[in-house]
Amino acid sequence: MLEIKDLRFSVQETDQSGQEINKEIIKGITYTFEQGKFYAITGPNGSGKTTLGKLIMGIYQPTGGSILLGGKNITNLSITERARMGLAFSFQHPARFKGMTFRDLLAIAAGTDDENALVSILTRVGLCSLDFLDKEVGAKLSGGEIKKVELATTIARNPRVAIYDEPDTGIDLWTIGPMVELLKKEQHEHNTTTIVVSHNEKFLEAADEVILIKDGQIAQTGPMAALLPLLQDLDFCSWKNICEGEYDVRCHR
Amino acid sequence: MLDAIDKELLKAVADLESIPKGAYNIRKNGRLLSREVTANIDIETNEDGTGIDIIVKPGTVNESVHIPVILSQADLFDVVKNRFVIGEGSDVTIIAGCGIHCGSDKPEGHAGVHEFYIKKNAKVKYVEKHYATGPGTGRRTLNPVTKVFIEENGHAEMELTQLGGVDEARRINEATLGPNASLLITERVMTDGEQQAVSENKIILEGRDCKAELISRSVIKDNSKQDFYATLEAREKCYGHLECDAIVMGNGTNETVPALRSLHPDAELTHEAAIGKIANDQLMKLMSLGMDYDEAVNHIIRGFLK
Repeated sequence: MLEIKDLRFSVQETDQSGQEINKEIIKGITYTFEQGKFYAITGPNGSGKTTLGKLIMGIYQPTGGSILLGGKNITNLSITERARMGLAFSFQHPARFKGMTFRDLLAIAAGTDDENALVSILTRVGLCSLDFLDKEVGAKLSGGEIKKVELATTIARNPRVAIYDEPDTGIDLWTIGPMVELLKKEQHEHNTTTIVVSHNEKFLEAADEVILIKDGQIAQTGPMAALLPLLQDLDFCSWKNICEGEYDVRCHR
Repeated sequence: MLDAIDKELLKAVADLESIPKGAYNIRKNGRLLSREVTANIDIETNEDGTGIDIIVKPGTVNESVHIPVILSQADLFDVVKNRFVIGEGSDVTIIAGCGIHCGSDKPEGHAGVHEFYIKKNAKVKYVEKHYATGPGTGRRTLNPVTKVFIEENGHAEMELTQLGGVDEARRINEATLGPNASLLITERVMTDGEQQAVSENKIILEGRDCKAELISRSVIKDNSKQDFYATLEAREKCYGHLECDAIVMGNGTNETVPALRSLHPDAELTHEAAIGKIANDQLMKLMSLGMDYDEAVNHIIRGFLK
């Protein structure tokens, strides 16, 4: 349904000696996502997980390979065109807008400003406070609130494929469970192909298929249970050499 | 009495489709066009004939005054000095604004000097819009001066907007606040082409526990230029905040100079200032919701200036 073929992405960087080098971030990924399934993309920091999601949405342009949605080649389409074809992307660090309210954003996402339609989306995503609609999506929203706005605008698109980049960033521990439930419900009720980029084991457990990315390539795919030994072995944190271990409250991540 | 051009200008600057209800004074091409007073709000031409005095009786609530100025006469620079006395305990809305229609290559302009005396416990909302249009190439200038004196426990909220067509603007806002008084000024200016706008602001926080906030939103398109200067001076225990944001599009230039001057140890003054292009993450977000690039830009600008 969503096919990526030998997808590559590299950037120009300057190394320590001042020389321009070509750094390859995604090194030829081939994978087919099936309609209505739940995928979790995981892997160590800097492995290319988020980049892969952004390449699918068109936020980055690949330097090689192709992306097909329902058999149609979308590799050179803009973000807008992909959005109109049913792709949606939930940003890890959502944009904040001066002078724009949650209602404005939700109306754009849903394509209607009808009060009843907006309220039914709120109900669908489990936000019960109507006052919230007229809050500015600005600097005053908390990290958790802005992520809820992001989630709601993504779901309001009724996407065929929804990509969530680290949806639990800034969300308290108690909200992650309901969030997983919500994405599962969307998957089942709307047959949404759901792709979650995450380290969180709750999302990995919920996934039909976990895709482990390491060093810009797919290292392994399969259900969480099958990947567990590999995941446990994996050095998730690239800061470990400077911090005191996994229980250090001053974790540099 | 109102021709098509007058109606267009009145709609733009005062949201008026026709003659308003309540008190009003419409000035056209430097002369009085029509006026209406009410039992509580009096409007009189001032002694030296340079403008009007608007006197709101103490205790007047839920009333409004419209005082638009429209200009469509070539080579006219209209200067007007208006004085507003807002009586104790009243709560009123004042809608002002100036619309210029330029039909020739001759310049047209308006300078409105507005002085507000807001008495004890009075509340006023002041909305001022500036707009210029027309097929002519004459230079359109608008130089508003707003001076506000707020007595104890008084409150003023001022929305000052210039949304297009004005070639040159020098905007001056000054305010002095008494004890427990509060002031919120929101200024929005959009320039394009070769337009220039300067905004100079000085707010003196004189009374104990007074509060002032000045928010400036600028959109600077093409080769236009906007400069913003603001000083908050605290003379008592008080609170003041300046927020100035400019979005630059094209080759626009901007200088923003916020200044805080504290003359009292218990004063609390803050400011934030930012100049930059439209944030990329905002564009990406709106495009990921199905908008194209231009729609996204327009939407962000409209929200920013709302």
